[in-house]
Amino acid sequence: MKLRDLKLRARALFNPATVERELDDELAFHVECETRKLIAAGLGAAEARRRARARFGPVPLAADQCRDERGISFFETLARDVTFACRTFRRTPLAALTVISTIALGLGVVTVAFTYFNMFFFRVDAVRNPDELFALERPTRPGYHGHVPFTRTEYEAIRRGTNVFTDVAAARPSIATRINGRAARGMFVSGNFFDLLGVTATRGRTLTQTDNENSGRPVVVLSELGWEKFFATDPAVVGHELLVNGQPYAVVGVMPKDFRGLSQEPQDYWAPLALLDQIRHAEKPNEVWVDVIGRLKPGTSTPAATAALTTWALAEPAIKKPENGALQLYLRESRGVISEDRGEAMVVFMPILFAFGLILMIGCANVANLLLARGLSRRREIGVRLSLGATRSRIVRQLLTENLLMALAAAGLGFLISRALLAGSVHMALSILPPEFVESMDVVLPPGDWRVWTFLFGGSLVATVMFGLAPALQSTRLGLVRAMRGEMTRDSRPGRVRQMLIGSQVTASALLLVCAGVFLRSAYSAATADVGIRADDALVVTGMTESARPALLHAIEQHASIGLVAGSWPQPMSAGESVDATVGDTTLGLGYRLVSPEYFDLLGINLIRGRLFAPEERSPAAGVVVISDAVAQRVWPNRDPLGQMIRLDATTEENGDPPVPRQLFAVIGVVRDVHSALTMPSFAYSGIYLPIGAEQPKTSLVLRVHGNPDTARRTLLDALTKVDPALGEITTMRMMARLEGAVLEVIFWIAVMLSSLAMALTVSGLFSVLSYLVEQRRKEIGVRMAIGAAPRDIVRLVVSQSMRPIAIGVLAGGGLAAVTAIVLLSLPAAEMLGATVHAFDPLAYVVSLTVIVATCLIAAFIPARRAARISPIATLRAE
Amino acid sequence: MSRQTIPDLLPGTLDLLILRTLQTDPMHGWAISERIQQISNDVLQINQGSLYPALHRLEHQGWIEAEWRVSELGRRAKYYRLTPSGRRQLAVEAGEWDRMSAAIDRVMKFA
Repeated sequence: MKLRDLKLRARALFNPATVERELDDELAFHVECETRKLIAAGLGAAEARRRARARFGPVPLAADQCRDERGISFFETLARDVTFACRTFRRTPLAALTVISTIALGLGVVTVAFTYFNMFFFRVDAVRNPDELFALERPTRPGYHGHVPFTRTEYEAIRRGTNVFTDVAAARPSIATRINGRAARGMFVSGNFFDLLGVTATRGRTLTQTDNENSGRPVVVLSELGWEKFFATDPAVVGHELLVNGQPYAVVGVMPKDFRGLSQEPQDYWAPLALLDQIRHAEKPNEVWVDVIGRLKPGTSTPAATAALTTWALAEPAIKKPENGALQLYLRESRGVISEDRGEAMVVFMPILFAFGLILMIGCANVANLLLARGLSRRREIGVRLSLGATRSRIVRQLLTENLLMALAAAGLGFLISRALLAGSVHMALSILPPEFVESMDVVLPPGDWRVWTFLFGGSLVATVMFGLAPALQSTRLGLVRAMRGEMTRDSRPGRVRQMLIGSQVTASALLLVCAGVFLRSAYSAATADVGIRADDALVVTGMTESARPALLHAIEQHASIGLVAGSWPQPMSAGESVDATVGDTTLGLGYRLVSPEYFDLLGINLIRGRLFAPEERSPAAGVVVISDAVAQRVWPNRDPLGQMIRLDATTEENGDPPVPRQLFAVIGVVRDVHSALTMPSFAYSGIYLPIGAEQPKTSLVLRVHGNPDTARRTLLDALTKVDPALGEITTMRMMARLEGAVLEVIFWIAVMLSSLAMALTVSGLFSVLSYLVEQRRKEIGVRMAIGAAPRDIVRLVVSQSMRPIAIGVLAGGGLAAVTAIVLLSLPAAEMLGATVHAFDPLAYVVSLTVIVATCLIAAFIPARRAARISPIATLRAE
Repeated sequence: MSRQTIPDLLPGTLDLLILRTLQTDPMHGWAISERIQQISNDVLQINQGSLYPALHRLEHQGWIEAEWRVSELGRRAKYYRLTPSGRRQLAVEAGEWDRMSAAIDRVMKFA
């Protein structure tokens, strides 16, 4: 495009009056010349003018073609269409409002899902050139998923020895701590972390290398979230002190809101890595594992860097090698969004996004039906315009512009709806979830950034095509003369499109309702399953500082609401570890658990036969075990397990977990099985109990409380954090038991919300379409009744019209649900879900589909009744 | 001999004829169509409805430029003039036309 061209276009666009006048002058001049020529040839003035005009042809047409050459007709047409659309809206505001609010609802709902999607996948952290940032990882074996984290010594070696990075930082995210007694999540980072990411603090300063030298005062940089949480956004926060796990830390800065430190979980604060030793007593200094994050030098490719790093690591003695010596480092994008197992995460997210998108689809179908009906009433207008010379594509374009305008308005409204829904969901989560969950978890409203807006814009374009194209094409397909007369013609009755729309709505609703049914049944069976544990009056204390254990035990015994204390490793309701057990000459892996003698009584795990641990049996060295019924059945079927000997392999002592000695154990008792609602099959065997005492390191404490466990939990938390400011968590057993089913419950509620929305939209759509049709066929129905049709026949006539799409929709929806279930369950990522969700529960299918058919029939019946009440005399007289 | 209306003749010839007509003097639209008609001995008559869109298109392409002047009738008229790039375009199109008409000539004679 040349400059001259641009100039001409700009002139036409911004100075249209002049350009139009010039065009008129030019064309008029031509006719004038022609006329004079004809007069000179001897014609009379009037005749000459007539001929000149005839020769030129229609002036407006030529002018229009000249305008097209300007290359701005697109904008001109658009402006005209927009003005026209606005006039149409003003004339029929109710129709426009219905369309906008329906589409806005659909867009708002799908945007809720996208906002979460965005948070996990697209919302790259606000750091300098995030594309250059990579986490260095060491797979356990080449090509393996799992990886061995680097220690701090190894990090130092990487920083000194490699040359593919401009700099390398170390970070340990999401360390659970307590600040001023409240649960807080912190990230411990090397001194160059903030420089490497290229971020600055909004208040005060970031951390530096000097903060990381052990000499100085402990300091901390708060996130916006932490600033709000602990200082209520006090502007004079810098210089204040915080007690992190009981140690005083000085606040030196506050980070901007968008900065997350390359982590997906919100962090409350960042502290120097050197201080991690104070927080994590158990781990040996320099063996604390860290994430290694480097900024690749510009122009370095990832494969080249990986190769160089691997070669370097193989030769470097400081880097630990796997046992087989095969070492292959790799670089993972580190931008604060999911980069590992993206595929698996997508498997979870795509169906959710799809399910939310169905609402938009149903809304679009509703609107399309509405527009089809409006197309009939606008037929005269469209007919007039066609006969005045407008092309069909021109009218389609005008109708689509009108629809796009409504969709864009809906996108704006949809954003507000999505924010309201998100705020509502967070609020609901906060009130439903147990307090111990909320305290340790920062629930933040996912931001609606420019990506969400882009999504909404794209969504409104897609919606325009979905709801606007078919009606626009349909309503412009008409015979001119008949349309002008306002006659109904057969070819313009959009029956087939309408039936398809209803069918697809019913399909989508059926799909969603079946999902709701399946999850309801699964959540119900999970909630009502007998886990075999008395969970109502127990608390679990985990993660205490070992040096404070005696004082804590003392404080617990002194506490008024505590009845009984037991120890357990690992904590109750967790999956536990497995040990090789040998009986005779067969060896098998069995889950095991170390518990103190009080454990069985406290959690109500009943003895079936034999005896439980005696009070003095408080160590595995006692050589006795209690087994669960399932283990007894499996290892000694048809025999008495009591007095049998079982050999357990020694477990390796990692992180100071309590060891199991390699020796023979005598079975002294059999107890009832403990199940988990979610992991029933694998858990049933985890039933070898070995004795231990509550005073042993690493055991978690199980307490029986009197009165309300939530109140007891709160008072106990106050009392115990005074003794041990770094105390991990106190949880009610009830909530641990509930949490297992909570996942299903959440999915169930989402499915219920979506399917009820879908049903409401479908039913209202069906209802309005049938009502409209009855109105259209008033005359016909009147004639039918006049020649003897009974009201019952009329009802049947109207209802039967909707029967086919409903039947097809129900079958397709049910089938689609089953196919989706098959596809999803075949994916490895959904394995766990398959064990708990009864995806082919026949009852769920039958009930859901019946509900749909019933509601649709009711929706169809009301207009049908109205049709049956039409008075034949009145209709015939109206003609 | 029937009269031909351009551009029924061959696509693109109208542009060529306009450019060629403007080669010597600036002219307004009516004069262009008159000139073509005269020189072709009334064989070529320009469809008036397509003359002005063509002029505007050529103007947008930068091959001709327009100027408002007082005409011989004493009224303001829009005069078109060939630009340097229009001159180059004319040379290209004229060459193309020669090649084409020679080719057709040969086919008519020898085929």
